[in-house]
Amino acid sequence: MASINDISNEFVRNEIDEYIKEPDEREGLIATYAAISSRMQSIGAALVDGQNKTVDALTVEALADGVPALEIMDDGLIAAMRIVGIKFRENFIYVPEVLSCARAMKAGMAHIEPILSASGIKPLAKVVMGTVKGDLHDIGKNLCIMMLRGTGFEVIDLGVDTSADEFLAAVEEHEARLMGMSALLTTTMPNMAVTIEAFIDEGIRDDVKIMVGGAPVSQEFADDMGADGYGKDAMECVALAKRLVKEDAAQEG
Amino acid sequence: MTVKPMNGRERVLAALRGEAVDRTPVCNPTSVATVELMDLVDAPFPDANRKPELMARLAATGYTELGFDTIMPVFSIIQESSALGCKMQWEQKDNWPTVRMREPIWVEPDDIKIPTDFLTHPDTKCVLDAIRILKKEYGNDVAIIGKTMGPWTLGYHCFGVEPFLLMSLDDPGKTKLCLDRMTKATVDFGVAQIEAGADALTLPDHATGDLVSGDYYKRFLRDLHIELVERLPVPLILHICGRTLDRMEYIAQTGMAAFHYDSKNEPAEAMDIVKERIALVGNINNPETLFAKGPEEVRQEVYRNLDAGVPLVGPECAIPLQTSIENLKEIPRAVKDWHRDHSTPN
Ligand code: B12
Ligand SMILES: [Zn+2]
Repeated sequence: MASINDISNEFVRNEIDEYIKEPDEREGLIATYAAISSRMQSIGAALVDGQNKTVDALTVEALADGVPALEIMDDGLIAAMRIVGIKFRENFIYVPEVLSCARAMKAGMAHIEPILSASGIKPLAKVVMGTVKGDLHDIGKNLCIMMLRGTGFEVIDLGVDTSADEFLAAVEEHEARLMGMSALLTTTMPNMAVTIEAFIDEGIRDDVKIMVGGAPVSQEFADDMGADGYGKDAMECVALAKRLVKEDAAQEG
Repeated sequence: MTVKPMNGRERVLAALRGEAVDRTPVCNPTSVATVELMDLVDAPFPDANRKPELMARLAATGYTELGFDTIMPVFSIIQESSALGCKMQWEQKDNWPTVRMREPIWVEPDDIKIPTDFLTHPDTKCVLDAIRILKKEYGNDVAIIGKTMGPWTLGYHCFGVEPFLLMSLDDPGKTKLCLDRMTKATVDFGVAQIEAGADALTLPDHATGDLVSGDYYKRFLRDLHIELVERLPVPLILHICGRTLDRMEYIAQTGMAAFHYDSKNEPAEAMDIVKERIALVGNINNPETLFAKGPEEVRQEVYRNLDAGVPLVGPECAIPLQTSIENLKEIPRAVKDWHRDHSTPN
């Protein structure tokens, strides 16, 4: 089993040691980072520290030296975003810090994405995300999107105040098989059910997995309205998305 | 010591000054508007946010129908942002109006301009006129509370939440400059409401633990809030929903009369931190209790606050629009019952 001292980058080592307490997550991250090159660890360190310019420069350099784009994405960027997500969930950092890490992630991805798509490497899955009709709260939804992108999903962000028709149109246009809705108001939560109804009426409910979240939403509400899953925070959103993609693939056979 | 019977206004103002009261006042410093109340007095959203007579009529139900000790005519948090030039979405009867924060109007400190018609714009003037109407009709009996948004929330509206929060990390000095400049809007609108007859002002400034650290509150807002206490000569009620225990120490240092706090914070723990320095108002849960449960659960939350010594009791934030009148009426009822059960026999 890898130990924390197998991680060569001091910053990453300290971050994991100080902030990642949950045994499974800690072990997982130590194993991941112990196997990652020190060069990719430096990219991760810069990302966790919110240094977008450093991430940008290191990514460009690594690509120029022939490091595969996929390796930079997985080992440099995605692994680090996991640390960020856990630190946020545990209140070690807050929204501004997460936003700056997401900006750093974006700086790296700007160089990676064109290469990946040119070489035909597919994202994990496409997800359509939006805040429901009448609701303008989007901070939580945006954090979910950052974490989803930070895990390799392609996300189509419909923004706030999204009607059932807009969800329908986006899912059809992008042929997405996964969709997420966010609501922060008790007054707008029913619009999640309205949207799900619209998918049933269109006869395409079985073609898309639907996840829901937001502070007033609960597993119980999610079950009542006929959603496929509920996630309490951005980390759960990612786990849920992965699970639903798997379920979808299994059902497709 | 027994206190002579008070009316709502006396009771609220005494509690805000930290003085003895005949019983704990009931108030909502944010909003009591509900669809049921809109129907009852024929003053529906969105008009009740834009026409002074309707605004006053809907607000008065907090006293006439619910039996609260305050009247609060500002149901949303957007009146001044509209006057500052933000893009608005007025919505329908069943939802609050909001600012389109995805289309910010300012990027740099120098963009910040308080328009010359800031206080005569229909959406700020509506509030001022509503306060005048309410002052005339109810001003002797019940506390009329105004509302002026703090600069942090104005920052969300005018700069957009994400750009504003990123700026605070990238260039804290610039953020402070922005906050200083936006404070003029807070003060101007506040002073105008005081002149129109407001007895006290709610000051929402959403630097909540759901978004930023307690240290952020201290660095960016504590001193500014101290300054607002000096510039707005009525009792101020700071409102920050969400988790705030980690910043209540700093909030207690501001000299504000009261802090309107959220159910995510345990009453006894909160009282332990602030002690007598600031009067807590709250913290009955909105989405789970007032909206989704019944009078019995509401009563329990009222008792939890009273048992902890919280000096003003009410909902934690703007109540959900579909909240039942029954649940809201239970708040003053429970407060009275608690006092009856706890009065020392003469
Ligand atoms: C910040 C905030 C605002 C900001 C919003 C800025 C923005 N662009 O989003 C401002 C100040 C503008 C605002 C406005 C209003 N607000 Co507000 N606001 C909040 C506050 C303080 C924090 C919300 C937040 O961003 N939390 C942080 C994020 C990270 O958490 P989150 O959103 O829950 O998201 C996480 C999870 O839920 C999950 N998740 C989220 N979405 C999804 C989706 C999926 C698919 C999954 C799996 C997971 C998931 O992952 C996220 C990350 O971990 C809450 C208070 C609170 N205690 O929650 C009130 C609150 C949500 N607001 C409330 C109210 C009443 C309003 C207003 C109506 C106020 C008014 N009177 O005008 C307006 C509403 C306008 C509208 N039509 O939408 C009430 C709602 C009551 C209710 N349930 O009906 C709350 C609960 C306050 C309270 N205690 O009563 N608000
Ligand atoms: Zn609030």
